[in-house]
Amino acid sequence: MTITGEVGAWNARGNAASAVVARGLTKVYGQGDAAVHALRGVDVSFETSAFTAIMGPSGSGKSTLMHCLAGLDAVSGGKVHIGDVELTGLNDKQLTLLRRERIGFIFQAFNLLPTLTAEQNIRLPLEISGRKADQDLFDRVVETVGLRDRLGHKPTELSGGQQQRVAVARALISKPQVIFADEPTGNLDSRSGAEVLSFLRTSVRELGQTIVMVTHDPVAASYADRVIFLRDGLLVSELMRPSPQSVLDTLMKLEA
Amino acid sequence: MLKTTLAGLRAHKLRLLLTSLAITLGVGFIAGTFVLTDTIEAGFRQKFAAAADKIDVVVLPAEDGGRERQAVGADLLEKVRGVEGVADAQGVVRGTAALIGKDGKAAGDYPTSAISIPEGRLNRTEITGGAAPRSAAEAVLDENTAKTRGFAVGDRITVLDSKNVKHEFTLVGLFDVGVDQALAYSGAVGFTTGTAMKMSGEKDFRKIDVAAAEGVTAETLRASVATALGTGAQVETGAKHAEELAAANGADTKILTLGLLLFGLVAMFVAALVIYNTFNILVAQRTREMALLRCIGATRRQVFGSIVLESAVVGLISSVLGLLTGLGLGAGALAVIGRTGLDVPTGAVALAPRTVAVGMVLGIVVTVAAALLPARAATRVAPIAALRSQVEEQTFRTGVVRVAFAGLFLLAGVGATVLGVTQDPGEAALFTVMGGGALTFLAVLILGPVLVKPLSALVGWLPGRLFGVPGRLAVDNSQRNPKRSATTTVALTIGVTLMTLISVLTATLRVTYNAKLDEQFPVDYLVASQGDQGTLPRALAEDLRARPELASVVALRAASAKIGKHGEFEVGTFTAAADFTPKAATGSFGDLKPGTAALADYVVKDLKVEVGDTIAVKTTEDGTVQLKVVATFLGENALLPEVTVPEQDFDGYFGRLGDGQIIADVKDGVAEENARRAVEAAAQPYPTAKVSSSTEIRGEFDEALDMMLMIITGLLGLAILISLLGIANTLSLSVHERTRESALLRALGLTRPQLRRMLSVEALVLGVIGALVGVALGAVFGWAATTTMTTGVVFQLPVPQVLAFVALSGLAGVVAAVLPARRAARASIVGSLASG
Ligand SMILES: Nc1ncnc2c1ncn2[C@@H]1O[C@H](COP(=O)(O)OP(=O)(O)OP(=O)(O)O)[C@@H](O)[C@H]1O
Ligand SMILES: [Mg+2]
Repeated sequence: MTITGEVGAWNARGNAASAVVARGLTKVYGQGDAAVHALRGVDVSFETSAFTAIMGPSGSGKSTLMHCLAGLDAVSGGKVHIGDVELTGLNDKQLTLLRRERIGFIFQAFNLLPTLTAEQNIRLPLEISGRKADQDLFDRVVETVGLRDRLGHKPTELSGGQQQRVAVARALISKPQVIFADEPTGNLDSRSGAEVLSFLRTSVRELGQTIVMVTHDPVAASYADRVIFLRDGLLVSELMRPSPQSVLDTLMKLEA
Repeated sequence: MLKTTLAGLRAHKLRLLLTSLAITLGVGFIAGTFVLTDTIEAGFRQKFAAAADKIDVVVLPAEDGGRERQAVGADLLEKVRGVEGVADAQGVVRGTAALIGKDGKAAGDYPTSAISIPEGRLNRTEITGGAAPRSAAEAVLDENTAKTRGFAVGDRITVLDSKNVKHEFTLVGLFDVGVDQALAYSGAVGFTTGTAMKMSGEKDFRKIDVAAAEGVTAETLRASVATALGTGAQVETGAKHAEELAAANGADTKILTLGLLLFGLVAMFVAALVIYNTFNILVAQRTREMALLRCIGATRRQVFGSIVLESAVVGLISSVLGLLTGLGLGAGALAVIGRTGLDVPTGAVALAPRTVAVGMVLGIVVTVAAALLPARAATRVAPIAALRSQVEEQTFRTGVVRVAFAGLFLLAGVGATVLGVTQDPGEAALFTVMGGGALTFLAVLILGPVLVKPLSALVGWLPGRLFGVPGRLAVDNSQRNPKRSATTTVALTIGVTLMTLISVLTATLRVTYNAKLDEQFPVDYLVASQGDQGTLPRALAEDLRARPELASVVALRAASAKIGKHGEFEVGTFTAAADFTPKAATGSFGDLKPGTAALADYVVKDLKVEVGDTIAVKTTEDGTVQLKVVATFLGENALLPEVTVPEQDFDGYFGRLGDGQIIADVKDGVAEENARRAVEAAAQPYPTAKVSSSTEIRGEFDEALDMMLMIITGLLGLAILISLLGIANTLSLSVHERTRESALLRALGLTRPQLRRMLSVEALVLGVIGALVGVALGAVFGWAATTTMTTGVVFQLPVPQVLAFVALSGLAGVVAAVLPARRAARASIVGSLASG
C-alpha cells in the first residue's frame, strides 16, 4: 500500500498552512437498502496558496467531496474546516455568509447570470456581500483573463471559453480563502481549456490564491501542484508536481 | 403522440391545476350567473303558474287603443257574469291609497297600493293571517308593511283616499304579495272590490278574473266570453296569461343575466391571457423536449397537435370544475339574497343543459384558442435545438410592424375618444368614447412589450436602491422577457383599468352632482307630496313662510299641458321670495311678466324656439294662450317646471292648484335641529307631505353610488383574482426555468431570504406596472366617459383610491409570489446545479 502511505505522510506534515481541512468525512445519500455511500471517511487538507486537483473515476465522489468542502451540501459525518471556521454545525444563513466571504466557485457550465454583463457578473459576489471592489485588483484580474474589451457583453454574446474566464475572474475578485472549481474546463476545447487553466495557475502563483479543482482530464490536472485521487468515496492516492503522464499512470493503476 | 401528451400532463398535475384555475373561475362565474337567474326565473314561473291555477279566463284591456285604454270598463263585469258557463267573475282594482303610519304621516316614500281582494276562489292573493275583508269597514295589509309599520290584526288603520281624506278601517288580515314586485315595493292595502274603487278613485278594472262553472273547460269559456265582449276587450285563458306574465318578468332577469355575463366575459378574457402566457412559457421551456421529439421523427403537425391537445384537456377539466363552481356560486348568491330578506322566489338549483353547453364550449374554446399561437411557436422549434446546451435567452426587439399597428390603433383610439368628448353628452358620445377606449387598450396591449422595459426601470428604481443586489436582479428579471411580463401585467391592467374607471366615474359624479345641487338647489329643505303624486295645500307654504326659523320659502306648482303640436309638457310656476332668483342661461327672469314664459334648455331644443319667439300653450281654464319666451335655463338640474310662467298667470291658466313642492332655506344663525323641527311641525297636519333636506338627498345619492361602487368592485374582483393567478403562474414557471440561476446565486452567497425577496420584488414590479398602466387608462377614460354623461362635469381623480389600487396591486403581486419564492428558496443548491 505505497499509495496510501504517501497520503498519510503528506497529511502528517501538519496543516498549519492549510486553507481547507476535512477529517473523517462521510456522506451517505438515501437510506436503508437504497443508501449510497458517496464518501466513506476522507481525511484531506488543502494548503494555502496551492493548486490542488481532485481526480478519480466517475462516481468516485469527487463532486460530492467538493460540495461538502464548500458547504453546499451537508455532511453525514466528520468535520470540515475552512480556515479557522468549522462548517459542520453551521446553519444555512451562516453557511451562506461563509461562502460569500471566503469561497469562490467555478462550475462546469451555467456560471453566469444571463441578465448581467460580464463586468456585472464579475462584481456580483462583492455586490452581494456589500463590499467595494478593489479597483486595482479588478483591473489586474480583468487584464490577466484578457476580458477588457468584453466587459459590457452579456453571457450569450461570449464564447464558452470567454464565459469560463469571466467565471474565473469572478471567483478571483473577492479574494476568497479558497476557490472550488468543478470541471471548469469540461465544456471547453483544449486551447480555451489551457487558457483558463493557466489563469488559474497564475492566480495561485501571483495572487497567492488557493484553488481546489475537480477534473477528469490528466492534462488539466497537470497544471496543479498536487493531485489527489478518489475511488469509491475514499482517498486512495496523491501526486505532487504531476505531469499528464504520471497522472494517467496513476489513474490506470486505480482503475485496474 | 397522445400518450406522450397525457404522460406530460400527468407529470405536471400542479401546474395543470394552476392553469386550469383561471378558466375554472371564469366559467364558474358565467355558469353561476345562469344558475342564479335560471333558479329565480323558475321560481317566478312556478308562482305565476300557481296563481293562474285559480283563474280560468282573464279579461284584459283591448290591445292597441292607445295609452288611454289601459283599463277594462267596469260595465263589462256584468256582461261577463251573464255569460253561460261562468261560475264567478271579479274585477281587479289597482290604484294607490296612502296608509298612514303610527307617526301620523303617510308611510314610506311612495303611497301604498290599493287593491281589491275578492272573496272565494278568485282571490289572487294568499291570506296568511286573519281573514279577507268582507265589509267596507275592513281592510288587510301585506305582511311586510304590517311588520315594518307595526300593525297587527285587530288594529285600526287609517288610509287616505285619492282626495287625501282620511278613512279608518279595522285590520282583519294579512296577505302575501307573492310575485308582484310592484306591490312588494310600495306595500299594499287590500279592500273589498267596491271599497278599493272608492279609496283609489279608480273607475275601471285592470282586468276581470273569471272562474268556470263545473264541467266547462277554460278554452270553451274563453271563447264564449270573447264572443260576448266582442272587440271591447281581450280575453285569454288564465294559463296563457300566467305564461305572458312570467315571460315579461323573465325580461327583467335577462337584464341581470346580461349585466353579470359582461363581467364574466371580462374574467374570461383575462383568463385567456393567462392561458396564452402559460402555454407560451411552457413551450419555451420545453423547446428541448420538443426538438428531441422532432429529432426522433415527430412531424410539425404532431407537435402542434400535442400542444392543442394539452390545452383541450386543460380546457375540459377546467370547464367541468367551472360548472361545479358555478353551481356553488349560484347557490351561494341565492343564499346571500335570501339573507338580505329580498322576497325572491326560487326553484331548485340546477345546471340547465344550456348552462352546461355554454360553460363547456366557452371554457374549451377559450383555452384552445389561447393556446393556438404558442402551439404554432412550438412547431417552429428546429430539431437542432435539442443539441444546444445553453437555453437561449428570449430576445425581444421592437418590430416595425408592432409599432405601426400600435400607432394605428392608438391614433384611432385617441381620435374616437376626442370625437366622443367633443360631442354633446349622450349615449352616442359615450359609445364613441367606449370604442376609443377599446382601441387604445388594444394599442397598449400590442405595445406592452415595448413599455415594460422603461416602466420596470421606473418602478424598480426604488426597490433596486432599497433591496440592493436582490432588488436590482429582480428588476433585471422583470425586463428579461418583455413579452411574458407584458402579457402577465396586461391581465392585471384590465381589472385595474375598469376599477379606476368606475371610481373616477363615481367620484366625479358625486362631486358634479353635489356642485349642481349647491348651484341649482341652494335650499336646505324640500317638502313634497309623497311619491310626487298629488299636491300639497297652499296653506302649508303659508305656514312655512310664517316660521321665523326659515328664510325664502318658495312653492312650485305645475300642470301638464300640450304646447303646439309637440305633445305634453310640464307647465308651472314658482312663488316669489326675497332671496330666490333663478339663474337664466339666456334672457332674464326679470322679464317674466304676464303673458311670457321661461323654458328649460331641452324644451327650447324640442320646440325649436328661442328667446323672443312665441309658444301656444293649451290651458285648462283659459283656452290656448300665446306666450312669449323671455328666458331659458338649464333644466337638467333646476327645480323649476320645464315651462315656467308667472305666478298669477298660472292660476288663471290652470286654476288654483295645490303646491307640488316647497323649498325652504334655514335663516342664518338658526340651528339645524330647530329648523328641522319647524319644518316638520308645519308639515305634520298634512300626512302626505314628506320633508327632505339637501343633506339627506346628498346622503341618499352617496349611498346609492357607494353601493354601486361596491357591487362593481366586487364583480371586477374576479378578473383581478384571475390576473393574480396569472402572476403566480408566470413566476412559478420562471422560477422553474431559473432553477440553476437561483442555485448559482445561492452558491455565491445570496441568502434564502434574499432570494425570496428577489422574487417578491419582481412580482411587486410586475404588479405595480400593471396597475400604473391601468390607473392611467382608467383615469383618462373615466374622465372622457364623464364628459359624455352630463354637462358641467367637475372631474375628480380619487387619489387615495387610485394610490390604493397601485399599492394593493403591488402587494397582491408579492402575495402571488409567496409560494414560488418559497419553492425557489427551499431547493437544494447541489440538486439544482445538477438539474438540466
Ligand atoms: N443526490 C444524490 N442522491 C443519491 N446518490 C447520489 C447523489 N449525488 C451523487 N450520488 C452518488 O454518489 C456517488 C458519488 O457521486 P459524485 O457526483 O460525487 O461522483 P463524481 O466523482 O463527481 O462523478 P463524475 O465524475 O461522474 O462527476 C455516485 O455513486 C452517485 O451516484
Ligand atoms: Mg462530478
